[in-house]
Amino acid sequence: MSRRNNVRGPTSALTEFLKENNITPTTIATRAATQNQPIAGPSNSEQADVEDEAENPTRRKRRNRAAVTSGYDSDDLDEPESPVKKKKTSAAAEKSKAKKTAKKNEDSDHNPDNDAYTALSKAFRGNKPPNGSIESCAECEKEFSVSQYTMAANPGPGFWCHPCAKKLGNDPFKKPAPPRKRKAPAAKRTIVNFEERRFPTLVETCINIISNHIDDIEAFGEIGTMNMEAISKAISKKRSLNSENVQLFYGAENTILTLYDVTKLSPTSLITLGHLNPNLTTLRLDYCGLISDEVINSWCSSLPNLVHLQLLGPFLVRAPAWVAFFQSHPQLQSFLITQSPRFTLECLQALVETSGKTVTRVGLREVGLLSDEFLGVLESLSGKLSYLDISEPAKSCSDEAVNSLLGAVGSTLTHLNLSGHIELTDDVLHSGVLPNITNLNELSLSNLPLLTDEGVARFFSQWSNPPLTAVDFSRNPSLSTDSFIELMNHSGEGLHSLDINGWKDVSGKALENIGTQARDLRKIDLGWCRELDDFIMKAILEGCKSWLSEVKVWGCNKVEGNWVHSGTRTKAKILGIETHTSM
Amino acid sequence: MNEDHPMDDSAIASPEDWVRLASNDGYTFLVKRRVADMSGTIKNSLDTSGGFAEAGTRTYRSQERGIILQKMIEYMAFKAHYSNVGPKEEIPIHELMERMPPEVVLELLVAADYQEM
Repeated sequence: MSRRNNVRGPTSALTEFLKENNITPTTIATRAATQNQPIAGPSNSEQADVEDEAENPTRRKRRNRAAVTSGYDSDDLDEPESPVKKKKTSAAAEKSKAKKTAKKNEDSDHNPDNDAYTALSKAFRGNKPPNGSIESCAECEKEFSVSQYTMAANPGPGFWCHPCAKKLGNDPFKKPAPPRKRKAPAAKRTIVNFEERRFPTLVETCINIISNHIDDIEAFGEIGTMNMEAISKAISKKRSLNSENVQLFYGAENTILTLYDVTKLSPTSLITLGHLNPNLTTLRLDYCGLISDEVINSWCSSLPNLVHLQLLGPFLVRAPAWVAFFQSHPQLQSFLITQSPRFTLECLQALVETSGKTVTRVGLREVGLLSDEFLGVLESLSGKLSYLDISEPAKSCSDEAVNSLLGAVGSTLTHLNLSGHIELTDDVLHSGVLPNITNLNELSLSNLPLLTDEGVARFFSQWSNPPLTAVDFSRNPSLSTDSFIELMNHSGEGLHSLDINGWKDVSGKALENIGTQARDLRKIDLGWCRELDDFIMKAILEGCKSWLSEVKVWGCNKVEGNWVHSGTRTKAKILGIETHTSM
Repeated sequence: MNEDHPMDDSAIASPEDWVRLASNDGYTFLVKRRVADMSGTIKNSLDTSGGFAEAGTRTYRSQERGIILQKMIEYMAFKAHYSNVGPKEEIPIHELMERMPPEVVLELLVAADYQEM
């Protein structure tokens, strides 16, 4: 960098020019130092030291060339400062980029010294004497030791000592103001938009108004029970039900209370629910995850008339609380819970002992501890049980236990749900259901992979039960045409709801029978019945015209919805046509 | 009645068209289509590419009574206006809330839910 000998080789025109005009690295450095004091920080010196030796010759050449081609008046060395600086370091740019990304220093982005484009060549920074050496101040002529923060004297060469620098108004510690970079506004805005710009729906606005006026219950006018149901559903849809606006639904004279999403009700609110609705006979709470032992214990005394209880998600309640509840409510008629890993055999025993004479509906869906023993306990409810739902257990019960249970309680059952007991076989149908159950209305045997087509067909052909109204045999892909034909023969005339989602092999011909044999259907789920096509759909829609409200055809590739063109109109909702977004 | 007769005038529905919203007790409101489109159900029923009869007459018969329909239209106009405003502007929700009297807000809630608003 600095010329240590006096040998001058051939130089380019540019070098000559610069020499003539006395533009040297030193001059530039001085100017740079006065205009733009270096940042207090280690980065600069390190960079300066490292990059000094390596790239000198090439860099200087480019630098010089750039300086000349920028076409500035060489005498006026102030103006071309910045642009010259910019073009200087094209080579340094590559180097400092690597360094920059390694350091990721925010300041260095803005600091012109480190900016790849405008930074001085590292060679220039060596203008300051090394830190620690003694220098005379340009202003007061006293001696001081050079530090990182020593500022160059503004007029002319030399440096100021610290007191003089401050006296003359230049704060040595002040970092050069970084030029404000504009962050790409578009990128920033999309994030902000996503969170903040959602226009509130009218439903939300209404709910807010309701919550604000919750104390003025009189102001709401006449509210019939039917409307309350709709309001409760609307509020629950967005999980907007909270401790304030739930008060709207309370009333000392209420006997039935149904809330579809009470996730946001704290245990305290739920306790209050009991106190404010003392005459409840029927209570249904969905998504009641926050129900705790305390709540149940409080309900033991606050809801003396409760006979129907339906809870979705009371997983926090422990066995002793359940037992206490049953003991305080010896006249329960229905007890339906879904999802509880803590409901033990003891709890069930308590239920059976206390309310055994009155209970008619028992639901233990997705109860983790369900086992054959539970079924044994349930047997003592013989003669009364009409509704039994023990679906989706963690571990399937066995054929024998189920058969034994059905033997005891089957005669009175009108609703049976054994879905998800994957180890049950045809035997359940033949030895459990067939001989014992004669009054069933609704049967759900979804996801029982061991059932066979032939077994189910035989079952339906022999069963003496009157036609069922609701049948759910979904997710049994081995069942097929034979079962379907027999099912139709058996229950077709009574069916309101049919779910054979997953019966992939049912033949088209068999499916056509729906339109003729099952005219009273309201809801059908024919998902994944691959043979279903437009002609069959047309037959179904026309055959079931009077009552049909919903048909699901998810996964039926041949269904395209072309029956509309041929004039078949239906008020039913058709869901799942692949080529349609909505219908 | 079995053939589809093509709709002559509203093959292309412009958002600047006027459409009619009728309440069940005899009130009618004329609003621009783009305001009416703020409700999912109304938009679908007035959509000319669907097969509904309303699209031809450009009239939507609501099951609600007049005052409820009126408040819904106020909301839709509000929303139509503020949907196009820049991201820096505040939406004065409070003004909207003040216009909804508490006496009708429950009915309005049920209606709003049905209308997908």
